[in-house]
Amino acid sequence: MQSIPHRWFGAGQSSAADSAKAGAEAVAEAVGGREPKAVLVFCSVAHDLRALLAGVRAEAGPDAAVIGCTTMGELGNSGMTTGGVSVAALGGDGFTVHTRAAHISESDPRASGAAVAEALRGLHDDHKVLLLLCDGLTGHPHDIVRGAYSSVGAVVPLVGGFSADDRKFERTYQFYGDEVLTNSVVGLALGSDGPIGIGIAHGWRRVEPPMIVTKSQGAHIYQLDDEPALDVLLRRNNFVGTAEEFFDNGRQLQPLGLSRRNGEDIRVIHQGDDEERTVWGTADIPQGALVWLMEADRQALLDGATWSCTEALARLDGLAPLGVIAFDCAGRRAGLVEGGMDEEITVLRQALNGAPFAGFYTGGEIARVRGASGLHHLTLVTLALA
Amino acid sequence: MINWSTHLLTEFFTAVNAAEGEMVAITNAVERATEMVEAEVGAVVREGKVLGAYGFGPAVPEARLLAVAAGETLLDVIGIGEMYAVASPLGGEQADALIVGRLDEPFGAEERQMLQGMAQVLGLGLRSIRVLAAERHLRAEKERQATSAQTGQRLVESLLTIQRAISARRPLPEILDAVTGGASELLGGATVALLLAEGGPDRRLTVASTCGGEDGEPLHEAAARAAMASGSVLVRPDSTGTVIATPVRVTGEMAGCLVAHLPGGTDQHSEEADQLAAFAQQVSLALTDARTVEAVREAHHDPVTGLPNRALFLKILNRVLASRGTSIDPTSVLFIDLDRFKAVNDSLGHEAGDQLLALVARRLRGCVRASDTTARLGGDEFAAILHDSPMEAATLVGERVVAAIKEPFRVAGREIFIGASVGVAISREEFEESEALLHNADVAMYRAKKDGPNRVLVYEPYMHAEALDHLSLRGDLQRALREGEFRLQYQPLIRLADGAPAGVEALIRWHSPTRGFVSPVDFIPIAEEFGLIVDIGQWVLETSAQQVARWRREFPDLALNVNVSGHQLMHPRFADNVMRALAIAGLPSSAVTLELTESVLMSEPDLGKAALHTLRGLGVQLSIDDFGTGYSSLAYLRELPVDELKIDRAFIARAELTGEDLALVRTIVELAQILGLRTVAEGIENAAQLTALRRLGCGYGQGYHLCRPTDAEELPSRLLTQLVENRAG
Repeated sequence: MQSIPHRWFGAGQSSAADSAKAGAEAVAEAVGGREPKAVLVFCSVAHDLRALLAGVRAEAGPDAAVIGCTTMGELGNSGMTTGGVSVAALGGDGFTVHTRAAHISESDPRASGAAVAEALRGLHDDHKVLLLLCDGLTGHPHDIVRGAYSSVGAVVPLVGGFSADDRKFERTYQFYGDEVLTNSVVGLALGSDGPIGIGIAHGWRRVEPPMIVTKSQGAHIYQLDDEPALDVLLRRNNFVGTAEEFFDNGRQLQPLGLSRRNGEDIRVIHQGDDEERTVWGTADIPQGALVWLMEADRQALLDGATWSCTEALARLDGLAPLGVIAFDCAGRRAGLVEGGMDEEITVLRQALNGAPFAGFYTGGEIARVRGASGLHHLTLVTLALA
Repeated sequence: MINWSTHLLTEFFTAVNAAEGEMVAITNAVERATEMVEAEVGAVVREGKVLGAYGFGPAVPEARLLAVAAGETLLDVIGIGEMYAVASPLGGEQADALIVGRLDEPFGAEERQMLQGMAQVLGLGLRSIRVLAAERHLRAEKERQATSAQTGQRLVESLLTIQRAISARRPLPEILDAVTGGASELLGGATVALLLAEGGPDRRLTVASTCGGEDGEPLHEAAARAAMASGSVLVRPDSTGTVIATPVRVTGEMAGCLVAHLPGGTDQHSEEADQLAAFAQQVSLALTDARTVEAVREAHHDPVTGLPNRALFLKILNRVLASRGTSIDPTSVLFIDLDRFKAVNDSLGHEAGDQLLALVARRLRGCVRASDTTARLGGDEFAAILHDSPMEAATLVGERVVAAIKEPFRVAGREIFIGASVGVAISREEFEESEALLHNADVAMYRAKKDGPNRVLVYEPYMHAEALDHLSLRGDLQRALREGEFRLQYQPLIRLADGAPAGVEALIRWHSPTRGFVSPVDFIPIAEEFGLIVDIGQWVLETSAQQVARWRREFPDLALNVNVSGHQLMHPRFADNVMRALAIAGLPSSAVTLELTESVLMSEPDLGKAALHTLRGLGVQLSIDDFGTGYSSLAYLRELPVDELKIDRAFIARAELTGEDLALVRTIVELAQILGLRTVAEGIENAAQLTALRRLGCGYGQGYHLCRPTDAEELPSRLLTQLVENRAG
């Protein structure tokens, strides 16, 4: 009889067209005949999500905690997929798992973050992390993360990502058990008697000169340096055309960096309005802020991937990683088009030394290890377990 | 590099200002402040209670936070650890404070200042929210609310304008005017003045900017000083209204005061005091930012010329080289070295030297395009990066530089003439090291200088070997001086009338153990270039003076001619050095003639003149060497205390002198006679030349035909032979 490891981690992927089959295939690969405590499912919004979750449940067994969300692309050891499924599974006596879900209220988005953080209650393991998967289109990502941090405090690190719907920006979904939710946050409080490492890195750099956000509201920028924001972005990118042409063909995602003590807090702008000459992204951009356009070349992005993995593994007290969950910004994908994606997967495989990994391309990443801010953009966040 | 904290304050202000209730304002403020300084935890202590605690998790250590508000600087939190903590007062009368705590490192001065600003902004916001709430029940509620909201919005807009000016690096006076202007407008046209303390013990206050007042209005200096002394906002009545004074700090130090004068009693102006404090904060940030910029500038710019320094130049060059697509668009580097700068510096002082450098920098900038970079590498060396400049274009710019530097400079009330040598290096390969490119330009410059002043040369690989040799020559020269490798030969000056030796000219010789015999023509320029000439010249003077003093026991009228470099002449202690050498040797000054070349005297007509007059006054004589080869102007012969002209050998070089040669020599001799000067003909190599010169009335002569340069030990017998032969003849 096969001995059950004290802690285990597995990853699986599927590109099957049938949603139930895809879910089942990916989970089966990740679980590998073991009994999982938690299964994380990342898939395209194009799937029949209920059917997919039924397939997941069939392979994961009745007791496994299932969480997940829709993506802008999935990734794992076999490569990157769009329209596919990627699954991470973990189990063994060394892990403790609690999950929670909360609806994001328009009037009090922080409450959802705080509510999900309750999953940590009663978790007494030596090492803990709170993993959050949040709806990426509510416009309040900061508040959700701040809500979680206000409840958790600096004692426990946060990781996670914001769900996406390929490139539609219409509706994204979160999975909680067998339920398909939207406008929600799902949280997984993970306890372990082994070390947990988190890595954060991007690879973008500033393009001078900076600009002042002279008028903004929430995630909408009306003016940069007193000039209509769309005009400024088009001019700075030497682009002639409409907002749609710019964001679809020219520059799918325009990163803006806000000045911070140790670098930039990046925001991604992905849409604009030709009439109003405004632009917007998914997170708020405070009026009065000084912002830079950000640029990256392929090598810098790939180096960022290596760095993120290295940082996460370095925090495992010298132990070999069981596996890694990766939250990779879709904006990095945009910067790595045409073959770069394969390169990134190769870089991840090498940096992780063959350890299994699964993750997705997000609409924003969460990682808080130091300091108080946990929301990132254009970043690769890796959670390594040993 | 833009100061990251400066603009965060406005971002913070906007977040706090958006809040309608006190708790939301506090929550927003604590979260933003904590995030902005990358702290883990934050809280506000207000009226003895902990509010908005953030980052602590479920258990908030209230007692410890109150201790931090009271001055404790460490905050120990269970599960997180011991953190550095800082409490910034919210202003007002209570001991209220905004607190943040961070694990990894203590808060720097800049961060503390920003937190201070944030706390003041929060205090201002909280007080106005409270006032607003209290007044909701009053009759004029709606009107009042509208006004207050409007004022808040105007304040934000005004601060944003200033913020933009700071970020855009507008000139400081413009930013300060925006502050006083903005404050005055917000305070209904009140008089607002910014007083800044000068350095020095009395810290005099001067008006840096003012708005809304009339000329002659009192400065409220007393109020400003009181506010600065107490470090807090001061509101005091005066005969016509109320004075509000808010201190301005720069990285913690008291730097000045923002003062406003408003009509009405002091009890009406608490909100205005808060608003003025917000503007004072902007002044602090602008000044801090300006100081940071200045520090950065100092690290990268040469303070004398304002040009980038060597480090920045190389950085820029690196960037230019890296961003270059291919070698199709070559980048050229010019290396510019000034000629005779050291002489100016030595004789007129460093201040004049610095002025000259600044003027040179200005002319250099005028020679290149705005997009090109000029830099001062150090000393009298400058450089320029020319984008997309092939060899021809770069050479043209080099020539433009030479022409511009050749024009006289006016420094310290004098006309100064200097020159420049320019080396050009062009990036040929796709990957070129910035250091290597600059070095090549440097090498080309050396080569150009060797050919004479005011030349432009493009680098060729062969120059590299030459330059290496050049550098090792310098080392060898230093060793030669140290190890005594130099020696002197003496060539007699013969009185043509009777053939008697009248004096000797000391000639330096260097037999290097590694190089063999090295001609002075080769090593003197290098000794001059590396500043070794002063020591070498002094050695020549001392050694020859002692030698001639010894010979004078046998030949009592024997005189000494010594060559002096322009570099020696410019040395501030030149006259002293000469007199000391003569005193030690026991040689009368009247027996010594210093030979200077015409070109040295012409190029710096003013420099060294004082030293020459001093020496002349002490009896030392002056000779113009190589006379006739330099400029045609003879004005200096009247101005300088010249005693002797040495006619250059070029005039008598032909074995048989032509009528034209003779006419030229005759002119010089006649000129000398009119001015009462001796004439010495150099390079007499045959009897025909001797006869011709004697006939023209030239007084003295030197040359192989008369007597070759001779070692010291043989000279007495030569002199005797000369005397005997001539007696015989």
